[in-house]
Amino acid sequence: MVPVRCFTCGKVVGEHWEEFKTRTREGDDDPEQVLDELGVERHCCRRMLVSHKDLVDVVAPYQ
Amino acid sequence: MSEDYEVEFIDRDERDARFVVRDITPAFANGIRRAIVSDVPTLSIDTVRVIENSSVMFDEQISLRLGLVPLTTPDDYDVGETATLALDVEGPDTAYSGDLVSADDRVEPADDNIPIIDLKYPEGADSPQRLEIEAEAVMDHGKSHAKHQGGVAVGYRHLQRIEVVGDAADWEDEPNILRGVIEDDGELVPTESFDHDLSKRYPGKEVEVHDVPNAFVFSIESDGSLPVSDLVLNAVDSLADRADELEQAVQL
Repeated sequence: MVPVRCFTCGKVVGEHWEEFKTRTREGDDDPEQVLDELGVERHCCRRMLVSHKDLVDVVAPYQ
Repeated sequence: MSEDYEVEFIDRDERDARFVVRDITPAFANGIRRAIVSDVPTLSIDTVRVIENSSVMFDEQISLRLGLVPLTTPDDYDVGETATLALDVEGPDTAYSGDLVSADDRVEPADDNIPIIDLKYPEGADSPQRLEIEAEAVMDHGKSHAKHQGGVAVGYRHLQRIEVVGDAADWEDEPNILRGVIEDDGELVPTESFDHDLSKRYPGKEVEVHDVPNAFVFSIESDGSLPVSDLVLNAVDSLADRADELEQAVQL
């Protein structure tokens, strides 16, 4: 699952994850522009979303 | 001590603000910053009673995520007071922070779409994954745990003034970048207004940047638990309380 807050500064980034994901991974918007529009300004917060990969679906079958 | 300080806002909304404070020392400016980060108590989930958790995450991981969700904090709570919240979600669905139900309706998640955990209905399983918990949010200071910090990215820097010292040499056409707020004829100008580039505001001029003594530009971001104005006022009150305490302690 996406981290709730940015590790470095503590801004809540989790709430932007689903919009970020639908627009950049499933849609083809430019991630840079999407992050700007979401108000995720600092590069510490931006890396939280850019580098995230959901693993719940991968782990689920082994529960 | 009841001096008045001049405060001027540059940007202001619930969660983000930038303002100039004049006639304070650097030490006092840093005192305010530190009080905002560590001395303003906010509510945050601290104890979780797990009734059922068949998700792919451990109870502890879920509890940590719940703790990080910012909760709106009414002003009549004292440090150590608690509020109860509950969450009950069954798969296939995602449990969001907005699914938290609170006993006190003034205490609610500041952001509603933070995913807590994705719940599935695995193929061949007799029941879907389910998360049912009761949680106790406690009022505490940022210095005891970062989840209680109301301010995120709290900082300050000097207000600056630009002095034109002459004409720039012909071959100098490089940008001259400055980020912050400058004062020009008593007017506050954020550097965004000229793309942070002094060579655009003063074309063909050689300029020097000076700090305005004892004037600080604070930029404060709140995580949503308190509006920025409350955050700053509570921080200043806590500084005043400490000063009083010190006065009492050193009296004969």
